[in-house]
Amino acid sequence: MARRKVTSDQHRLVEYADSEPSAFASMLGGLIEANVSSRPEKEHDFDSLVASVGMWVTDIDEGVTLDFMGGRLVVHNGLMAGRTITIRTDADTVMSLSNLKIGPLGLPVYYDAIGRGVAAKLLRGRLKIEGLLPNILTLNAVTRIFSVQ
Amino acid sequence: MAVKAFSSEWASAFKDEVNKSSNYKSAAKGWKWTVGLVVEAEPDKHFPESKGIVMDLFDGEARDVTVGPAGDAQKCDFVITAPYSRWKEVATKQLDATKGMLQGKLKLKGDLPTIVRYTKASQEMTECTTRVPVEWPDEK
Repeated sequence: MARRKVTSDQHRLVEYADSEPSAFASMLGGLIEANVSSRPEKEHDFDSLVASVGMWVTDIDEGVTLDFMGGRLVVHNGLMAGRTITIRTDADTVMSLSNLKIGPLGLPVYYDAIGRGVAAKLLRGRLKIEGLLPNILTLNAVTRIFSVQ
Repeated sequence: MAVKAFSSEWASAFKDEVNKSSNYKSAAKGWKWTVGLVVEAEPDKHFPESKGIVMDLFDGEARDVTVGPAGDAQKCDFVITAPYSRWKEVATKQLDATKGMLQGKLKLKGDLPTIVRYTKASQEMTECTTRVPVEWPDEK
């Protein structure tokens, strides 16, 4: 399958709502753009996902809202209203989330060391996901797009 | 014995610490890119000229770590840039490098998915910097 290339004459996969995106916004947007551009298996999720995902990093007091719009992502500084899911956790766990392996059926792997660490943080309340239960398929899709593994 | 911050002696001691770390060795398995650290000048902190630290890292081993002009570090596959005092905060455990990057206090250039994949290795490398006793120019 041909890899998607981001060129100036194509619309950008990732745009920033703010004229000065925060470092965290740039990093998440850049990570997702690089992932989707270089990994064809992530394109389907990116093209079909419509959801507003908040991510708040508790130990730096910063967050972003990722507005997935079916093939396009707009990254906002801070948490915006109308979010489908909001993830609240520390910087280390954000890195662990992006290192979750994707296993059979496209499900995140929670039985290896990183997955167990993420699951333990969820159980201990160090990782909070608002809107998890009604949106578990959305969360899985976001995890697949976000994962660098 | 303490070595001067970001000197050749520091680079040598840092390389030794990295190569002593079994955690780094396992976390950095498969890493094959050069990393440059740009330490920006802060004359008021007695650090008058920017310096570049070039790290030749391969598959869990630090093959070489050298200190030279900032321009050398800027040519590496991954470049992390910050003023002298920020790097001092990292090396003295006052600033976590991961948080520093998310906050933009440490500016990263390079392929993001790759650096995120090796988060554990970069955290262990930061730990190694904290184990090198340093003589800081602004503490004389």
